[in-house]
Amino acid sequence: MKHFKLIFILAASLGLGACQSKVEYGDATEVETVNENFGSTDLQAITSKMVDSMLTFPPVVAITAKERPIIFVDKIKNKTSEHIDTESVTDSISNKLLRSGKFRFIDMTKVDTVRKQLDYQNNSGMVDPSTAIQFGRQIGAQYMLYGNLSSIVKQEGSTKDVYYKVTMRLMDLQTGLIEWSDEKEIRKTKSKSFLGM
Amino acid sequence: MRHIALLTLAFSLGGCAMGSLFISYPSQMAPVKQALSSQTPLAPLGDLAKEIDSQDGLLYAQEAGRVAQVGGDFSASKSYYQAAIAAYNRFDDKATVSVSGIGASAGSLVLNDNVIPYRGPGFERVMLHQYQALNYLMQREFDGALVEVRRANELQDLEQKRYAKSKDSVKAMANGTVDAEMDRLGREAGSVTSSFMNAYSYYTTGLLHELLGEENDAYIDYRKAAQIFPGNPFLEQDLVRLAKKLAMPQYDEFKSRFGDAKLPEANDGEVILLLERGFVPEKRAITVPFTIHDNWQTVSLPTYGGSYGQLPPATISGLKTPLTTATIANIDALAITALKEDLPMLLVRQAARVYAKSELTRSVESQSKKQRNDFDGAAIAMQIFNVVSEQADLRSWLTLPRQAQIARQYLPQGEYRLSIGGQSHAVQVQAGAATLVWGIDTGNNIRFYSINIKK
Repeated sequence: MKHFKLIFILAASLGLGACQSKVEYGDATEVETVNENFGSTDLQAITSKMVDSMLTFPPVVAITAKERPIIFVDKIKNKTSEHIDTESVTDSISNKLLRSGKFRFIDMTKVDTVRKQLDYQNNSGMVDPSTAIQFGRQIGAQYMLYGNLSSIVKQEGSTKDVYYKVTMRLMDLQTGLIEWSDEKEIRKTKSKSFLGM
Repeated sequence: MRHIALLTLAFSLGGCAMGSLFISYPSQMAPVKQALSSQTPLAPLGDLAKEIDSQDGLLYAQEAGRVAQVGGDFSASKSYYQAAIAAYNRFDDKATVSVSGIGASAGSLVLNDNVIPYRGPGFERVMLHQYQALNYLMQREFDGALVEVRRANELQDLEQKRYAKSKDSVKAMANGTVDAEMDRLGREAGSVTSSFMNAYSYYTTGLLHELLGEENDAYIDYRKAAQIFPGNPFLEQDLVRLAKKLAMPQYDEFKSRFGDAKLPEANDGEVILLLERGFVPEKRAITVPFTIHDNWQTVSLPTYGGSYGQLPPATISGLKTPLTTATIANIDALAITALKEDLPMLLVRQAARVYAKSELTRSVESQSKKQRNDFDGAAIAMQIFNVVSEQADLRSWLTLPRQAQIARQYLPQGEYRLSIGGQSHAVQVQAGAATLVWGIDTGNNIRFYSINIKK
């Protein structure tokens, strides 16, 4: 009989593993702590910090007082040990800056598509020349926004510590001067649970 | 009745790991390795991919990734390796004591160690990221390649830390020394650094750092590789060259030890060859039958048999001058050390299993039948089950190479036909660029993959 009990316990413990799964909607700005990897909360924290910092920095306020400067966004270089879509970070930042109404942007990722379209309008013979947009009429950017995302990962026993640092800078393309720069630090520590499924 | 219930339990526990439960893993992999050295290397991919959902998914994902990579399908290889990396991450996230872990250990008590989900030794995990980096590189996704390189570096650090406590040679690595004497002593004591640390991984991560413009990081990895595997002339040249270029304080020391750096001419490009040879050896089982309380039992333990002699260096012709490759790592030595380190735990589980199985047999055997010397079907069935189910855990990543060799040469730009032992590959050399040639020798043929990278 003793063995039966043992078998029952083992079988029950195995059976427990099969819990049912479900799907539900959540708040997109909710703090997410599924694991220690780069996640939506980090992206949102970086975006809001960078945008606030840039919009309130006195020299930048002075630049944007009279006109809406034209910026092009270079990518944020991913120097971490995770595959992170840094284009998504720059998208969020440029989106918020544009929505503030103080800056205008040039999208360098779409240059090839635009060139193809202008080529079609001017050289295909399909488009009325009087309505075709001419080459060489676009406006050049005055500023460049760029940055780095780096991380330090440490692990000892059941504790893992991840530190992220994003540095962003705004460069005046004419003078080469850095007009604004800021960084955002994020630290996450994960300790493995002792007991679990 | 009771023993039937026990058997059913044992089988249901093993259900997911059926793959290597009763058929030894090396014999399952034999056709895969055969296919790799034939003209249809990708043929076994489908069968391997099916097993990725099983208990040993990690192992099969590693094998599938490697098979796809050797066959030249880098994007498929990337997704298989991704599955393996995800499996390792799941292991990391698992609680120290988990219900599923206890379930597997309990299963290993009545059946064998193949019930425990596979988790590779440290060097396999580093190699996984190293190969994933090469996948990204071959597809010209340089950012992704660097991410994998950094991930490999993190894991290498963990390995280094693991050994730094006990091994002086590894302690020296942390200080950045390249100490040949230490290794000579180690070789005599039979505990060379290269048998537990993988210089090939460090060389590959260093090389990728260098090719993708992070020379300072490359220098650090090369230095560690040189400490692990001293005496490789190409690696020594890399060290002197980078020390000179980066004006490192060790330049004078390296110059006096390895000679001055040879620098390229104005119109020179560089050919860098990574040559992987053979297959890592398979584990074999030693099985010892014996009796306890007049009932037959066996123990079966994994081991590596015989001695694996050195592979000869390869001679490369068709470049500026003939070139001889130099070994950078013996993966077989790493595999043997990994098993040695596992043995204590293996023996503990083996002892517990012998006890459990012998108690199981005694619980079903009938004392009265035994006294009358009658036929006791239950006891005999249990003994047969014990002997059949006692299978050594022979699982390991078997499509890894046995040895890695490297060679580098500066040569004027142009078209060349590099050839090793009758197998050739066209390489294009551009001034100021590097051409990385990755050769995988699977016995019958060598497959070459190459990429041009402007430095």
